[in-house]
Amino acid sequence: MTTGSRFRPARSTVGRRGFLRIGGGVAALAALPPTLTACSDSGGGSGKLRVVGVADQQKPIEELVGLYRKSHPDDTFATSFAPTDQVQTVLRTQLAGGNAPDVHVLYPGSGSAMSMVELAKAGLLADLSDQAWTKQVPANFHPAYRREGKTYLYSAGSSAIGAIYNKKAFAEAGVEPPRTWSELLDVCAKLKAKGIIPIALGAQTPWVTQLITYALVPNAVYAKNPGFDAEMASGKAHFRGSGWADAMGKYQELQHRGFFNENPNGTTYEQQTSMVAGGKAAMAVQVSAVLAAFRQATRTPDDLGMFPFPGGDDPAKLWIPAGIVVGLGVSARSRKSAGAKAFIDFLGKQENVDRWAQSVAAIPFKRNASTRIDPVLSGFLPIIDDNRAVPFMDQSWPNAEVQPAHFAAVQNLLAGKTDVDGALGQMDEAYGKKS
Amino acid sequence: MTSTPQKTVPGVVTEAGDVPRPGRGRPARRRDHTVPPWLFVVPALVVYAVVVLYPSLAGVMYAFTDWSGIGGFSFTGTDNFRALLDDSRALESVTNTLLLTIAVVVVQNGIGLLLALGVHTNIKSRAVLRLIFFAPAVVSPVMVAILWKYVYNPENGAGLNGLLGAVGLGGLRQDWLGNPSLALWSVAAMVVWQYAGYSMVVFLAGLQGVPAELHEAARIDGAGSWQRFRYVTWPLLAPALTINLMLSTIGGLKLFDQVYAATNGGPGTSSETLSTVLYKEAFVYGKFGYSTAVALVLALFVAAVSLVQLRYLRAREVTA
Repeated sequence: MTTGSRFRPARSTVGRRGFLRIGGGVAALAALPPTLTACSDSGGGSGKLRVVGVADQQKPIEELVGLYRKSHPDDTFATSFAPTDQVQTVLRTQLAGGNAPDVHVLYPGSGSAMSMVELAKAGLLADLSDQAWTKQVPANFHPAYRREGKTYLYSAGSSAIGAIYNKKAFAEAGVEPPRTWSELLDVCAKLKAKGIIPIALGAQTPWVTQLITYALVPNAVYAKNPGFDAEMASGKAHFRGSGWADAMGKYQELQHRGFFNENPNGTTYEQQTSMVAGGKAAMAVQVSAVLAAFRQATRTPDDLGMFPFPGGDDPAKLWIPAGIVVGLGVSARSRKSAGAKAFIDFLGKQENVDRWAQSVAAIPFKRNASTRIDPVLSGFLPIIDDNRAVPFMDQSWPNAEVQPAHFAAVQNLLAGKTDVDGALGQMDEAYGKKS
Repeated sequence: MTSTPQKTVPGVVTEAGDVPRPGRGRPARRRDHTVPPWLFVVPALVVYAVVVLYPSLAGVMYAFTDWSGIGGFSFTGTDNFRALLDDSRALESVTNTLLLTIAVVVVQNGIGLLLALGVHTNIKSRAVLRLIFFAPAVVSPVMVAILWKYVYNPENGAGLNGLLGAVGLGGLRQDWLGNPSLALWSVAAMVVWQYAGYSMVVFLAGLQGVPAELHEAARIDGAGSWQRFRYVTWPLLAPALTINLMLSTIGGLKLFDQVYAATNGGPGTSSETLSTVLYKEAFVYGKFGYSTAVALVLALFVAAVSLVQLRYLRAREVTA
């Protein structure tokens, strides 16, 4: 049998083969990566004020837009919301194309490609400094809201990181929320002995990986050296060899003692939420802004509480992380900047700051007698008022690469692919890169 | 294998080998000097040039700048390309991309060929089976990734682990997406599951073009099933193989959606591909200039591999 015979096939066969031949050539050209292609969106030209936010902001923004329109019935809005990744991608393209929405999501401080500092540096944000609410932002929050003395970010306040816990699971094991690191280890051991996963960890979702380090670093680093960020910026200090090593060591200790669920690197945030809400796990170190998601995942939301995650052994000197929640900025190129600023001014009124903060379980940056704070956060207030709260660490990092390096370092640590020193070395390398 | 194609075509075979189309009642006319209607292609070419070619070529310029995606930029010469050579994460992603591509190309086309041979028989359910095997290919890759995240649930009683436990293979349970040594291969399996049916369809088109006379002649010559496949079917499947290898290679080299949605390049950086790296450089780190340099290298790499592959595969094609 040979392959060289020239049998004359039916015409239909030739056509199909010809199609296949042409297809091969076309495929080489057509399937080149589309990633070089820029894209943009005209965004429409209606008279509506365009507001783009992340999914977490949908509830407060829609509520407050509704209230605003009661006093400004002629103003109309076009709002849209999407998960963080998608918003970042689309918004950055719109900013580059000069057609950004009038009001858009903005991340506090620096450390993100879409942070207030990065966008203000590029001249893409309108100055909000003449609005009354900006004068009431506490001084320790200024780095998150301001750049070079001008306020560009509107945010309702701060969100704390702590342990969201299932009261029934704690009761079943006969334990109370711990107040020290030693107590925490003891509580976890008792929960584990009862067959309850002490701490649910959904480390497959990158941002979840950072929360335990963030919960431990304030005690390990800032309680001893409040000027650590400045030392890092000047090159005097590094992650490696600092209190970060203690924090990462404790993170690893929790894993080595078997206090996490099995396979945390393969577990998602949603699975973590479900484990705690369903009582399979007793607690999860999380940011208070996701309390609503945990409550939605259970029929008995009152069974969920939150306590400051103890990183040290003196309850009276416990430090916690409390970062400014993602907020809004006004585009410097907005054609409706007056309307956009008027809306932000409306959001800055005390009652509206309270509404937004309550909606995302945050602590308002300013408070008065009428301010109501989610009762589960009551344990955090004395610490914040005593100035023992530090902003989320990434909000002061010099570029957007350190945070993802932290995610990867923790995942590698959990997988046993690196040690604490190696993990912190990865972060130091990323910190040293220019923005 | 079907019987001779002529049996299904009523009418007479003309001198030129043309077969009249059924139902027309008259022989098909063929003009010898027909000018191909190239003008019909012009609108599509113009759209392609404006939407794809121009932005892509214009984007090349940014590979030589420090553009952050917003604001101004300055030219930095070949700095981005030199940085790429020192970027351990990008270099690791090149290895991952190549491993992923090889795995997908080999397994996807192997399974696709077996499926095509299976549904090219006279079994009654072949139409339904073709539909079932091809169905995943029309689902959004992101949806497939989300679906497979449930399949890859690391808990013992859930998804694939649950199934393994139920059939007594509990010892094979794995943390499919959370184990850095497994994550890349888990993603490859997901991609194979989705596109094996696509390869099957292309192979099926090739199989249907193999003249039955050759098989009959081979059978008369005493060739068995394997010999008929090896010496008749396989050589004549070359055009289909060319397309399948080209498409799966290109698809593997620029794989993004499934990796991003399933592992986001993790754990750590164990499943980063060139596409996820260039996405993150642009939209997460705000380094559009560097990202464009990565994209340019990827585009040139894909084009080079595709052209070499095409040249080699075309050389071994035969016609019946």
